[in-house]
Amino acid sequence: MTDVIRTRLLTKTFGRQDVVSNVTMKVRKGEIYGFLGPNGAGKSTLMKMLLGLVKPTGGEIELFGERQLPGAVEPLKRIGHMIEAPVFYEKLTAEQNLELHAEYMGYYRAGAAKEALDLVQLIGVENKPVKQFSLGMRQRLGIARAIMTRPELLLLDEPINGLDPEGIQEMRVLFRRLRDELGTTLLISSHLLAEVEQVADTVGILDRGRLLQEVSMESIRRSNTDYVEIKTSNAQQAALVLEEKLQIRHYKIMGSHMLRVYDADVTPEALSKGLVLNDVSVESIIRRHHSLEEYFLELTRGGGGHAAFDQAGA
Amino acid sequence: MRHLIKLELKKGKLFSYIGGSLLAYGILAGFLMLIYMVEGPSQEEEVFRDYGEMLLLIDTLVRATFIIYASALISRSIIGEFRDKTMALLFTYPVSRKKIIFAKLIIVFVWTFANIMIANALIGGLFLAVNSVTGYVDDTVTTTILLQHGAHVLTHGIAAAGMSLLPLAVGMRKKSGTATVISSIFIVMIVCSNNMGFSLSSIIAIPLSLGALGILLTYLSFRNIDRVDVV
Repeated sequence: MTDVIRTRLLTKTFGRQDVVSNVTMKVRKGEIYGFLGPNGAGKSTLMKMLLGLVKPTGGEIELFGERQLPGAVEPLKRIGHMIEAPVFYEKLTAEQNLELHAEYMGYYRAGAAKEALDLVQLIGVENKPVKQFSLGMRQRLGIARAIMTRPELLLLDEPINGLDPEGIQEMRVLFRRLRDELGTTLLISSHLLAEVEQVADTVGILDRGRLLQEVSMESIRRSNTDYVEIKTSNAQQAALVLEEKLQIRHYKIMGSHMLRVYDADVTPEALSKGLVLNDVSVESIIRRHHSLEEYFLELTRGGGGHAAFDQAGA
Repeated sequence: MRHLIKLELKKGKLFSYIGGSLLAYGILAGFLMLIYMVEGPSQEEEVFRDYGEMLLLIDTLVRATFIIYASALISRSIIGEFRDKTMALLFTYPVSRKKIIFAKLIIVFVWTFANIMIANALIGGLFLAVNSVTGYVDDTVTTTILLQHGAHVLTHGIAAAGMSLLPLAVGMRKKSGTATVISSIFIVMIVCSNNMGFSLSSIIAIPLSLGALGILLTYLSFRNIDRVDVV
């Protein structure tokens, strides 16, 4: 079994609106899968379907290699989760909440609650009732609850919401540790690109309920996404020079004042020299890294954008 | 199942349940004592003609109290959990949803029944004891009276425990705790009202069928719980 989650044409319709529409995705064992999409893209709904909280209108879900049937509870033993803002029994203390969770999960290991609280750096507040917790603390406690039973699969919906930069950094380290030390599979959703980019092994891009692309970060990094961006007063003229005089084929005109050159062996210096010698005025020449952000924007804006990426990959 | 019930009690803090019940016993006893003491000594208009009447009034008030108490319990442990979304959390545990709900219902049913029994025994006993000293009610305790009344309390207690679930079906529709409590008061007004010694409860078929209806409607409310979306 290499795929922990597999869905086929998974669809959920509320009223007449498709919230999740024909999603076919795969999450491999031991990877961090980043679910990327704007708010309202259907990330939470999809996670709720994996947990059985929301029943699919169509399609199939396979968890741990077994097809999910309505009312099946067995796989839930192996899943930790935090969907949306985590809810707790407000009057109970942090530790009591975790202990209750372990009891319902049927998980008994002495010190598990303490250990989980330490991992998310919630120290010295275990005996405070949760209603006194700040947003960030609740978020940490939610993560502690999700990981305390050492699940094989972790579903985390916007886990860094409400955390300070330091906290975000800590969680990033924690997620990698879980993957590397316990072999946990993580499905993490976020609308923040930079976040997903830093932590994910595979990225699934979701927009308006559809899975637009499923791609490994490795291939995004590998696919020679470096390019040189040229700002000039006349892009058409510059393009002509590039093609005729400098024999550069892999470039793209990004409007009337901008060009991108994807040839890996061309240095900005050579470009600058070549253009100026051919009477093209150059405002700036910068080497850039094609980030996940641009990739994402191109996809979600739809149309046109793919060319740049295809070209870059060629 | 026993484990689930234990967890429910732990979550709801058992002591606060017990505290609430003890308070209810105290208020009931005080209120009845007030009637007894104010009206008792004036012999022109007797407050109770005999022990049967006295014990009946105690039982009616006890049932009314604990049917309403049950609705508060329901609104906290079931309706409240849906509203606070902790029910969604419970439904992500490897336990069938029906079992989770069932554990909660058992607590409500048993709690209501047990409290009606205990309150009747305690308050009834208290009044028999007090009356043996003051003698405002001119009657003697016989085994027949006690057995008859015991059987009455038992059957009505079971019926009341079933009826106490009726407000759940009402409250579940809109996930409203207020609707739950108000409907329980409504039920009490219908069933426990006393009109010149006659109440709907005196025809035992009525409370028993209402109790059965409570159980049936509750079953219907949760029959499809495995198949619904919990958002």
